[in-house]
Amino acid sequence: MSHPNWGQLLTDFVTWFVFCYFIALNGGYLLLNAIALRSLRIKGQELFIADLPRAYSGLEPPVSILVPAYNEEATIAASIRSMLQLSYAEFEIIVVNDGSKDSTLEVLRREFALLPFPEAYRRQIPTAEVRAVYRSTRYPNVRVIDKVNGGKADSLNAAINVSRYPLVCGVDADSILQRDSLAKVTEPFLRDSTVVAAGGTVRVANGCTVSGGFLTSVGLPKNIWALFQVVEYLRAFLFGRLGWSAMNGMLIISGAFGVFRKDAVVEVGGYRRDTIGEDMELVVRMHRLLREKRRPYRIEFVPDPVCWTEAPEDFHTLKNQRIRWQRGLAESLNANWGLPFSRNGGVPGWVAFPFMLLFEWLGPVVELGGYAFMLWAFFTGMISWQAFGAFLFVAIGLGILLSASGLLLEEMSFHIYPRGKQLLMLGLVVILENFGYRQLNTVWRLTGLLRWALQKESSWGTMKRKGTWQSGASK
Amino acid sequence: MNPRALSAGASDTFVSVALWTGTVALALTLLLALQIVLLRMALRRRERRTALAVARWRPLLNQIIIGEDPALPALAPREHLPFLHLWAHLQASLRGEASAALNAMACRLGVDTLARGMLARGARDERLLATLVLGHLGDRAAWPQLLALARVPDSALSLTALWALVRVDPDAAAEYLTPLFIEREDWALSHVAGILQQASGPVAAVLARILPQLGDERLPRALRIAESLRVTLPGGVLAAALQSRSSAVVIAALRGVLTPETLPEVRALLLHEDWQVRVQAARALGRVGERSDAARLTALLGDPQWWVRYRAAQALRELPLLSRADLEAVRASLQDRFALDMLDQVLAEEAA
Repeated sequence: MSHPNWGQLLTDFVTWFVFCYFIALNGGYLLLNAIALRSLRIKGQELFIADLPRAYSGLEPPVSILVPAYNEEATIAASIRSMLQLSYAEFEIIVVNDGSKDSTLEVLRREFALLPFPEAYRRQIPTAEVRAVYRSTRYPNVRVIDKVNGGKADSLNAAINVSRYPLVCGVDADSILQRDSLAKVTEPFLRDSTVVAAGGTVRVANGCTVSGGFLTSVGLPKNIWALFQVVEYLRAFLFGRLGWSAMNGMLIISGAFGVFRKDAVVEVGGYRRDTIGEDMELVVRMHRLLREKRRPYRIEFVPDPVCWTEAPEDFHTLKNQRIRWQRGLAESLNANWGLPFSRNGGVPGWVAFPFMLLFEWLGPVVELGGYAFMLWAFFTGMISWQAFGAFLFVAIGLGILLSASGLLLEEMSFHIYPRGKQLLMLGLVVILENFGYRQLNTVWRLTGLLRWALQKESSWGTMKRKGTWQSGASK
Repeated sequence: MNPRALSAGASDTFVSVALWTGTVALALTLLLALQIVLLRMALRRRERRTALAVARWRPLLNQIIIGEDPALPALAPREHLPFLHLWAHLQASLRGEASAALNAMACRLGVDTLARGMLARGARDERLLATLVLGHLGDRAAWPQLLALARVPDSALSLTALWALVRVDPDAAAEYLTPLFIEREDWALSHVAGILQQASGPVAAVLARILPQLGDERLPRALRIAESLRVTLPGGVLAAALQSRSSAVVIAALRGVLTPETLPEVRALLLHEDWQVRVQAARALGRVGERSDAARLTALLGDPQWWVRYRAAQALRELPLLSRADLEAVRASLQDRFALDMLDQVLAEEAA
């Protein structure tokens, strides 16, 4: 009687496991795509109505726009000026100077004619010391908080403390907003009183032209890193978030632009200061706590492109950004283990959380481990070249399919890249990104996971900005 | 194959399954690529058709808007959708004679019949467009179809139908639909209020009639609609709502207090246990209170809730016959630091 070959059995098992993991990962996303498709079709039919001139009834909930700023002296004044031109019934802008080391505060003082204001500061959420509150004498709806450095989350909390309105909208100081972005993202709050948060699609601004703080023409970047990210953003927003939103299972609202009901944010304790991914952590925590309390609520995604952001164009900045994102994801999930184990976990706890855990949090380990194992097995002769080739064929083929489906959704809905050449270029990038870029991303995500495990301290992220896409821009 | 390689059976199965999966993925990708190309070609065709229709009709529409009477060609079937889009867009930004002239032109072209047909048989986006067109036309013949559409669960379709019905006949729309827009929570209050501005008179009359019969679950929304339309409700109706046990009803009623008729009820609510009621009571007192209410509001400046203190300070500032000197005197009398800070803030807001 022959003994079982344990090494061989183990190789068989790992090979099949890696293969099945890739199928499940891509199959899961394709399912989300199918769900997103339906939402986009309905949305597409209403675009004409949404584009008609809008009259405000006065019942639109006013919004406090929260703008945390750290060393933003070069861009802050132009950003605020463009935000002042947003078309919405009633809003205020609260800029938070988070102990900047440059002259951010001086620029704000000069450009907006700030005067100290005796604010009866309401400490609903604890924050670092607030040194002063200023009010613009030029724009009555602009206030500035000057505070001791405490990070982005701390700044957002301080802004929430002084905000006057029931909805708060966190915006990155360098975000480029569509003029109607507030009107679009607050739409879910009008329709449904149980909505506690809503986010919109963020797009890559590189290659576009910006004038007066607003996007005037859409283009594709020439830089290859930025091009890869255009396709990535399509995938992440159009079907990633829209698919989850349809099931009320969305776990992320981008910090670049998201609207929240203030009382709900205060109730769950505001943004967490000790995390990098404060935007995602807040949303996951809202799910967890509101579900624990069995409160009816919805967190919605608006597929309209409402915000444009500059994507990193060099290897190191991109790498650092992805490492930070992965750390943020790990921290957000790790801080909310109660959600999947809740008796009232629902879609966010029982579907979205495990999905994120398996395919986003653990993903880099299995994906990279899978590639490494297959390579090792191939070179040591544990698997044949046919098996190795077939594995690569599936992994890359499914990756291309997934990216292509993101492009299809874009073409079905907003087709913001109008020229045939642009479409062709995106088609090429969909293929190219699967030969190295996605694998590189997986390496960065794994690094992020390791750094999270080593628990390094969090701080403001530094982003090297080129701003070359702002040709002739006044942003 | 290497003898040490994946066992023959397992290897063959793996390769076969993987190849099939990869082939399916590849085939699907090619199909998606084809679909993308077809979509782009369809978009281009649509854009060309629209451009041609706009080039043909825009000058004629402009002539009509400025009061001329050009000879109109027949509307070709391929022009239907682009023409209706263009026409509805123009109508959305026009009023008075120009709007009436566009309506007359549309009727000459048979757009009313066309839109009614689209409403009966079209796809969802066509029905939305047809509803808009019929609303602008004020087409009475479409009333039964629009009324049925206002009752469908689809929020966008039903709300657009509500808008069209109000355009066609504000009185009848108020009579038929007031209970419906109180019931339909999926209709955004701000949109409903915007639509009803045109029918505020008839809606106010219907609201005053049905408010006393509404239960606590429907009353807050009805009161908010009344508030948005600036409807002055009969004192009895408002007083009854102000005495409700439901905080939501009391809050909605307080927002609608526009006259001093219910002043005693409002004053009593300054001491309500729910801080959100106290906030609205302070605001209402700011609108309708008297000089003698200053002491009541000053007491509220020491409320544990920030919003109550803030609204009380604002209400003090708004009270009639209370001068800046009076407010300074109130400030000088304050012992509570929170009350003092709040009054300082509100006085600074006034100065800014």
